[in-house]
Amino acid sequence: MTAIDSGTVPPDFDYLVQPHRVHRRIYTDPQIFDLEMTRVFAASWCYVGHESEIPAPGDYRTTTLGLRPVLMTRGRDGAVNVLLNRCTHRGTVLAGESSGCAKRFVCPYHGWTFAPDGQLVAIPFPADHAVEDRSTLSLGRLTTATYRGFVFATLNAEPEPLDCWLGEAREAFDTIVDRHPGGDIAVMGSPHLLEFLGNWKLSWDNAADGLHATFAHESYNTLGEMVDTETVLARDPGSTPMVSKALRNGHMVVDQRPGIPQGPWATMRRVPFREPLESALVDAGEESLLDLATGSMINLSLFPNLLFVGNQLLVIEPVAVDRTRLQLWLTSAPGAPSEIDLLRLRVDEDFVNFGTPDDLDMFERVQRGLSIPEMEWIDMSRGLPDSDAADGDATIYGPITSEAPQRRYLAHYAKLMTTPAATRAL
Amino acid sequence: MTGGAADAPGPGSAGAQAAVLARYDELASLLGGMDDRPGADPGLTAEAAPVLLHEARLLDAGRFEDWLAGWTSDAVLWLPLSARAHPGTDQSLLLDDRRRLAERVDWRREPSAWGQNPPSRTTRVVGSIEAWAAADGLVARSSFLIDEYRHGRHQALAGYQIHELVGDDLRRRTKILVVPALGTGVRNPSFLL
Ligand code: FES
Ligand SMILES: [Fe+2]
Repeated sequence: MTAIDSGTVPPDFDYLVQPHRVHRRIYTDPQIFDLEMTRVFAASWCYVGHESEIPAPGDYRTTTLGLRPVLMTRGRDGAVNVLLNRCTHRGTVLAGESSGCAKRFVCPYHGWTFAPDGQLVAIPFPADHAVEDRSTLSLGRLTTATYRGFVFATLNAEPEPLDCWLGEAREAFDTIVDRHPGGDIAVMGSPHLLEFLGNWKLSWDNAADGLHATFAHESYNTLGEMVDTETVLARDPGSTPMVSKALRNGHMVVDQRPGIPQGPWATMRRVPFREPLESALVDAGEESLLDLATGSMINLSLFPNLLFVGNQLLVIEPVAVDRTRLQLWLTSAPGAPSEIDLLRLRVDEDFVNFGTPDDLDMFERVQRGLSIPEMEWIDMSRGLPDSDAADGDATIYGPITSEAPQRRYLAHYAKLMTTPAATRAL
Repeated sequence: MTGGAADAPGPGSAGAQAAVLARYDELASLLGGMDDRPGADPGLTAEAAPVLLHEARLLDAGRFEDWLAGWTSDAVLWLPLSARAHPGTDQSLLLDDRRRLAERVDWRREPSAWGQNPPSRTTRVVGSIEAWAAADGLVARSSFLIDEYRHGRHQALAGYQIHELVGDDLRRRTKILVVPALGTGVRNPSFLL
């Protein structure tokens, strides 16, 4: 065991994250994980939820920010709030259900009562309670901003405006939203939740990994051969015109569209109940809408916790240094004929059942491999040297086999870990 | 609804969509109405028990082809994410028709299906069996515990299953698996059938 591994040496991220290799310790050290919960998950903008999930005043949904239990609520004034789901009396988690509608949040322990905007509105038996100013006992409030209905929050004391933080990622973001009729995208309730015994960054290493599909997802591709469908993942990753982009702030894009000129629907195999729903659209002369039933063929990853994959949103929830939960939310197209959402339900089961298990298995295998102290380094050199785009923006382009996106997000990660941004105490 | 097709229902258009929705509604009401059912029919319960236990044994033994042969052509296997779910409005873990079930069996045999290679070794305990009469057969509800062992670890999941068994040979037309832990996050659930 080397000193760097012992966990007693303060982490030096310039050493742990190098341009061509990464030290295993960032995936295995609980001390680094604890730092990440503040330096990454409190300091960055994180995705919390979508406005369509809380349409009416009082609607709420719970999630986590890092490990912090948080509440997304719609206040009586219609505004969206992101609050710490923690009673300001002695710390009880207020909302136990994952979602619902509440005029007020009444703490189950001693009955303190909070409005959906977080204000303390009632304390039972107040006579012997010396609180002068109740406003100091409101629920902890995160800085909140939305982009196209997607709600982000942060504890950063001086956050970059959300639009700037998204930066070049807005182009892909807009493309994903705008292909929905009227730009109207919604998120269905009840996520599918999956866990794996691995570090949360393993899903980031995978998110823009265009090479793994050929190997890890070989069975997904051969399953397609049963019915003569060439799935999108079956393309030769070395010669496809698909492109990956490494953006500022650790965001990443894999644009598969140039590799599938015949359109996404042509890559979709015969999912259950496909034919009747498809023919209903064809007969109505709306065949061109079928592409909406599949994903945009743009994988957009917004560091540190949101991936757009297919028509799903994957939200990455760290649980422990070696345990991660994935929330899989399905988006719908309220402005499209009903067949589209009916197809989406079955289409997104396709990869979740025949592709995602491969990824989960790889993540757990990698985590086990990284437990070996004598093998310290992970190679991330594929595609070096990186070159900036000709138009001089901050984007690095590469073929989808390049590991430029991984290098770039990890460099951003190392920066966050080395020079922590000030976060707010609440 | 799709404009234009609505006034000309027939096979291949709005009528076809209606048939899909009718099947989905059937699944949702089978699931949603389960707790309201009266006590079971003892004779049908005795008839259902060996069929359910045989299925569990086939699955635990990895005899997927034999298991596949026990389904009707209009079969549906559904794993909703909650007991209040509807297959047309809520995400499911899976909703397989007969064609997809066949693909799934092939997938279980595919060496590069890493999520099941090495394969899960499962042990099912099926109990609390109840059955009622249904059109052309019976509906059964039973509880199950599945222990899965894989990669040197195991996880145990409990839940209940609803079977619609039809014809003289009680073939599976519908199977719904309700696993409450799916709502909290389970590891690679691809062993669930
Ligand atoms: S902890 Fe919430 S009222 Fe006491
Ligand atoms: Fe993958």
